Amino acid sequence: MNAVRILVCFKVTPDYEALREADWVAGEGGGAHGSGAAGGGTGAASRVETRYVPRILDCFDESALEMALRMREAAAGGTVPVELGAISIGGKEVERHLKTLQALGYERVTRVDTDADLDFAPTVTASIIARYVENTNNTDLLMLGWRSGPHDGGTVPFLVAEELGWPCLTQVTEVVVLSSDRVRVAHVVDDGVLRVTVRLPCVLGVGNAVVARLRVPTLTDRLAQRGAPVERVQGGDLGIDVAAELAREASVLADLEVIRRDRPGVIVGGESPREKAQTLFDSCLKSMIEKL
Amino acid sequence: MSLRRATIVEGLQHILGADSVVTDERILKESSIDRFRMFEDIHGVYTQPIPAAVAMARSTEQVAGVLRFANEHGINVVARTGRTATEGGLETAVPDSVVLDGSGMNQILAIDAYNMQATCQCGVPLQVLEDRVREHGLTTGHSPQSKPLAHMGGLTATRSIGQLSTLYGGIEDMIVGLEAVFPDGTVTRIKNVPRRAVGPDIRHVIIGNEGTLCYITEVTVKLFPYLPENNIFLGYTVDTMKTGFEVLREVMVNGYRPSVARLYDPADGAYHFAHFVPEGLSVLIFVAEGPAGIAKATAEGIEAIVAQHPECRQVESRYISTWFADLNWGPDKIAREREDILQTGNINRTTEVSGDWGCINDIYENALRRIIEEIPDITMAGGHSSHSYINGTNMYFNYFYNVVDCGPEEEVTKYHTPINRIICEETLRYGGAIVHHHGLGKARTPWVRDEYGSSYYILEGLKRAFDPKGIMNKGTIIPA
Repeated sequence: MNAVRILVCFKVTPDYEALREADWVAGEGGGAHGSGAAGGGTGAASRVETRYVPRILDCFDESALEMALRMREAAAGGTVPVELGAISIGGKEVERHLKTLQALGYERVTRVDTDADLDFAPTVTASIIARYVENTNNTDLLMLGWRSGPHDGGTVPFLVAEELGWPCLTQVTEVVVLSSDRVRVAHVVDDGVLRVTVRLPCVLGVGNAVVARLRVPTLTDRLAQRGAPVERVQGGDLGIDVAAELAREASVLADLEVIRRDRPGVIVGGESPREKAQTLFDSCLKSMIEKL
Repeated sequence: MSLRRATIVEGLQHILGADSVVTDERILKESSIDRFRMFEDIHGVYTQPIPAAVAMARSTEQVAGVLRFANEHGINVVARTGRTATEGGLETAVPDSVVLDGSGMNQILAIDAYNMQATCQCGVPLQVLEDRVREHGLTTGHSPQSKPLAHMGGLTATRSIGQLSTLYGGIEDMIVGLEAVFPDGTVTRIKNVPRRAVGPDIRHVIIGNEGTLCYITEVTVKLFPYLPENNIFLGYTVDTMKTGFEVLREVMVNGYRPSVARLYDPADGAYHFAHFVPEGLSVLIFVAEGPAGIAKATAEGIEAIVAQHPECRQVESRYISTWFADLNWGPDKIAREREDILQTGNINRTTEVSGDWGCINDIYENALRRIIEEIPDITMAGGHSSHSYINGTNMYFNYFYNVVDCGPEEEVTKYHTPINRIICEETLRYGGAIVHHHGLGKARTPWVRDEYGSSYYILEGLKRAFDPKGIMNKGTIIPA
């Protein structure tokens, strides 16, 4: 039986939750303290300054990476072997995540080496991924988070699928390997969850899956994989001039506005819990129920 | 003869009123533990004896009433306020204990900006007090990571310390006076004075008692000018921990008092600083604060000392200020942690100890080596020093492990306690202290006699004198 070859694309993003409110500033040298290069890479002078916050795995990509591991485990008891690969586009910050994936059992890990800021460049990102898949010709199922961070419009899975000519499903929450050329996919649609059987190859954009966290390898696991090679690829190896492509897709972050969702808190008074509950009901809940 | 559970509840209701006595089963189960058994809690498994009730006290008189009742009938009492304890101090080791909760005693009683002190009840969250005194341009100077959650009573009872301790000290340096209730209902007040020499400093009978001697109902703490605009953040990479400890020592010995003086090893540092620190390097962090002249002089003094160590390389200060702004733990991070643990089975634990400059690196190296060699399923083991003194510093061991091949109820015995044992053994071997600022709780009581040595006599004497019937938090500090 042929193996199902899964390739998971993941992105290492700034931890936007660690960004101070004062640092959400658009413009050259962004940030309250002003410090030159912005956006965590080159050619991004109009970005929010993010290089001072830690880098984390994009949460949807993290789901995809764990789902792939579980798909292999679930398939291991059957007759379908599953091979796992992972690819990320970025600089040195990607490396430690690739090593973690090796320790977790990913056989092939690849870094498309670039310091270019691709945050607002979905077509360039999609082209890189699609060219890699075409050039290596060893992927049956491509999985990636449906979006990565506040700058991402969620278009990359569709663009990759279009370039490859493969079908695409997004908002995927569960995948089961059925055979060497079929997977069962659950994905969220407007009025519920749709379960479909998909013939491979295909692209899956992972959404709010129950499986949301990537497992953690032990130090022993890491030691066993120490020295295992990480494949490094340049844009040129894929026939892509990243800088030129990026120039064509240039975007400028013009402005940012804080959306305040704070609501005032009210402490409900009363001598007893019963009295407080009654006050809460009378002053708030009753009118809400009546509107239903 | 011990009372039946229903009789205990009736007695508490008589003292506090029915609405202030909680007997909901789920709440009782959650009240039988603290974060020491969070893995069990996350999985809904509770192995400790379930308390009879949670008694919500609203006044010192009510605390006294509950303690008198418990003392008369031999009922174990566990004192709590903010519930952020990490070492098992809030576990109800005895069936039908009473959890005496002071979180409702949440009034700030006075902010005296002239005499630079604030008085509050035990259930005031530190964050609330800090926010209020900042309206006066002041700060408590106390900033543990638990600041958004922890209450003043618990912080005092566990001898807590904050991230700015190298300048402001631990809670024991901040407490001016306090009020506490002893098991027989005696209410004691220690007045607020700058200093006095009228015999032993009896504040220290109360500070750090972890609910084993008395119940803290009110505290008065010092205040300081809040001058964040003068803060200077300094960060350096350093090749070895040994050099890092030496830099810390020189900064302290030369008389500088940065509010923050930290040294992270490569493993622990990678969790915070991988975006700017190359793999394998340790990280030194300093924050100089106070009046502008002092902050500037402190920063310049530190820079001059670091310059004597060529292997230290400075990083942009904004990396440090950004990191520092995201340190504290609020409900959002607690919720995220629970979800992480539930999904991955990977849990983060810490053990903090201290030692003098001559031994701290040996404690660090030996304990870490043994943890990695002897404990299965470790996914990260490292640590940092975060509180320094003229004669030594602390070591905050930080480690993660995957809980595998055992039930939630075995996590503590399979992993956490053996790691604690290694760290305590190595710390004692080199003459350090087995707990720096979390409190002993119940987790590290197996080593308390070795920790105290001949001075254990004093500890036992305090327990006999103030809690002769042994009703106060059985099993905490003094083994059951």
